[in-house]
Amino acid sequence: MRSATPFLIAGLLVATSAGLVFADGDHAQIERGRYLVSAGDCYACHTADPSKPFAGGRPLQTPFGAIYSANITPDRQTGIGAWSDDDFYRAMHEGVSANGERLYPAFPYPYYTHVTRGDVLAIRAYLQTLEPIANAPPRNKLPFPLSERAVMRPWNWMFFDDGAFHPDPSKSASWNRGAYLVEGLGHCGACHTPKNVLGADMDDKALAGGTIENWFAPNLGADLRTGLGGWSEADVIDYLKTGRNSHDSATGPMSEVIQYSTSQLNDEDLHAVAAYLKDLPGEAGRVPSSASGQQTSSSGLSGSGEAIFLDQCSTCHRSNGEGTPTVFPPLKGNANVQQADATTVIRVILQGARTTPTDARPTPFSMPAFDWKLSDAQIAAVATYVRTAWGNVAESVSADDVGKLRRTLHAKAE
Amino acid sequence: MEKIALSRRQILAGGAAAAVVATERPASAHSIKGEVPWAPSQADAPHAIDPGGYIFFTPQEAALIEAAVARLIPADDLGPGAKELGVPTFLDRQLAGEYGRAERWYMLGPWRQGSDNQGYQSRLTPAQLYRYAIKQLDAHVSSIKDGRRFANLATEDQDALLSDLEAGKVDLGGVSGKAFFDLLLQNTIEGFFADPIYGGNRNMEAWRMIGFPGARYDYRDFVAKHGERFPLPPVGLQGRPAWSSKG
Repeated sequence: MRSATPFLIAGLLVATSAGLVFADGDHAQIERGRYLVSAGDCYACHTADPSKPFAGGRPLQTPFGAIYSANITPDRQTGIGAWSDDDFYRAMHEGVSANGERLYPAFPYPYYTHVTRGDVLAIRAYLQTLEPIANAPPRNKLPFPLSERAVMRPWNWMFFDDGAFHPDPSKSASWNRGAYLVEGLGHCGACHTPKNVLGADMDDKALAGGTIENWFAPNLGADLRTGLGGWSEADVIDYLKTGRNSHDSATGPMSEVIQYSTSQLNDEDLHAVAAYLKDLPGEAGRVPSSASGQQTSSSGLSGSGEAIFLDQCSTCHRSNGEGTPTVFPPLKGNANVQQADATTVIRVILQGARTTPTDARPTPFSMPAFDWKLSDAQIAAVATYVRTAWGNVAESVSADDVGKLRRTLHAKAE
Repeated sequence: MEKIALSRRQILAGGAAAAVVATERPASAHSIKGEVPWAPSQADAPHAIDPGGYIFFTPQEAALIEAAVARLIPADDLGPGAKELGVPTFLDRQLAGEYGRAERWYMLGPWRQGSDNQGYQSRLTPAQLYRYAIKQLDAHVSSIKDGRRFANLATEDQDALLSDLEAGKVDLGGVSGKAFFDLLLQNTIEGFFADPIYGGNRNMEAWRMIGFPGARYDYRDFVAKHGERFPLPPVGLQGRPAWSSKG
């Protein structure tokens, strides 16, 4: 009790200063903040232990090392309870902590910089209502010199443009709302935009698909084969709201995004996001790239690939690759299957996958793992088969690709 | 005639061994609340037998078992027999494992004569029963065939002996010859048709013989193809040769 008393007093002081009884305006602001916190999917990264929501400490695996998320509860010592509104706005807007330290862009301030001050303060108001939890995240595991936060100064100079979102007057209000959500709080590009060697977005390939934590976040451009070209706006909305549509089911990191963020968006915002995404350019509208879009004829492995598919996969995905839409994803025409980078296909065959439960579709379906059963060569063969059968077009997968990912995932699990 | 004499100490020792094995495994039953649990790379994978020589059978026991299963399912013009397809190895691994130890069965008294439809009634575990019955059978053969062993008899004589066992004409030192015959026949059929992962049914030959397509669970593509032959070859838990083919 001796040590708890100061905490209690501190808690009371915070509560008093925030106003124990909220005026109507405060309540509306806090509720808006709650909604925006969902839109930003803050929970997913800032929660390591579900019993300590928003208390941080979740390791984010970057190519440079593990970065631990911050405690954003109002705890004054370990959280952000002692921050001023201006401190919080500066962190969101410029990536600078209250103590002046540079934050790493694993905290997606290059996106959050587009969020309006009003929205930032609403988020702040909501976070202040959370239960303060004392939890100091572990030290980041970054090699020198990246461990020095000062390295973010030149990085920011090269890659970071702070600034408010500027609406495009030639587009609809809904499109602009979608752009604001996608490019701002939604920070979709954090996964879906490829990164340069310094971990910054390649702006000429915005949302064209990126590698993250041994997954490949697919292309969101207008490409028919690899992007959202074959999806209607309603398909995009279904996917974001329920986790599934007739083309595919979400799994991997997108599960969390749907569970904590997009399934919580209102229909108006979902329409806006869909309108903006469906207006993105495809490969043809971007700078031409020599690496992608290459067709490779099916390799000699596809004989065994077809045999494995018929024996192991066709019960759910059907021998014609059409699956059972919204239950078992079709592989024919599936964009995830045909990405230039086959990481996701290989990973799902190795480890299995589970769809995300949402209010609209509460029962998740799972695909079994095959890593105990199929060799690297066999997984390469069946991955190549699904990438080239039924009119699908993508490069073949080698046993080497499978072996590398198998070893990486195995090492990660230990 | 040797009488079967299981002492209380042996039964207790057997029970203690079973208890030790049981504590090594996590409890198999547990309740699930909320979300159905799922984790990447989780699989209830079947355990393939270790290839190689016998673990349970001594060379003499193996000789009798090989000879006996070769008479129960002999090689003929339809295809290879139980011996060729690895049934002795299947039996060996089963008897060396939890089946042999009767791990999942109630094995305490009362010891009354059960009826046929009441299942396994012996107070011996299958491993103990095989070991004891094989020894008794060879002793029986030796006494009526000038010291020869079952494995060295002509096939006609082996058939005659097996028929006598089946007809209940041979007592194996307190164990019913028919009980042993029935168990051996049942286990031989199991080994002959079980998935090759367990040691028998090598290369799925037994399945090929009867046209069983193996571990498949979806035939919707073929439902409407009346009168046509199912085109796919059998597949086992470890796949089929085409999974590793090039081309």
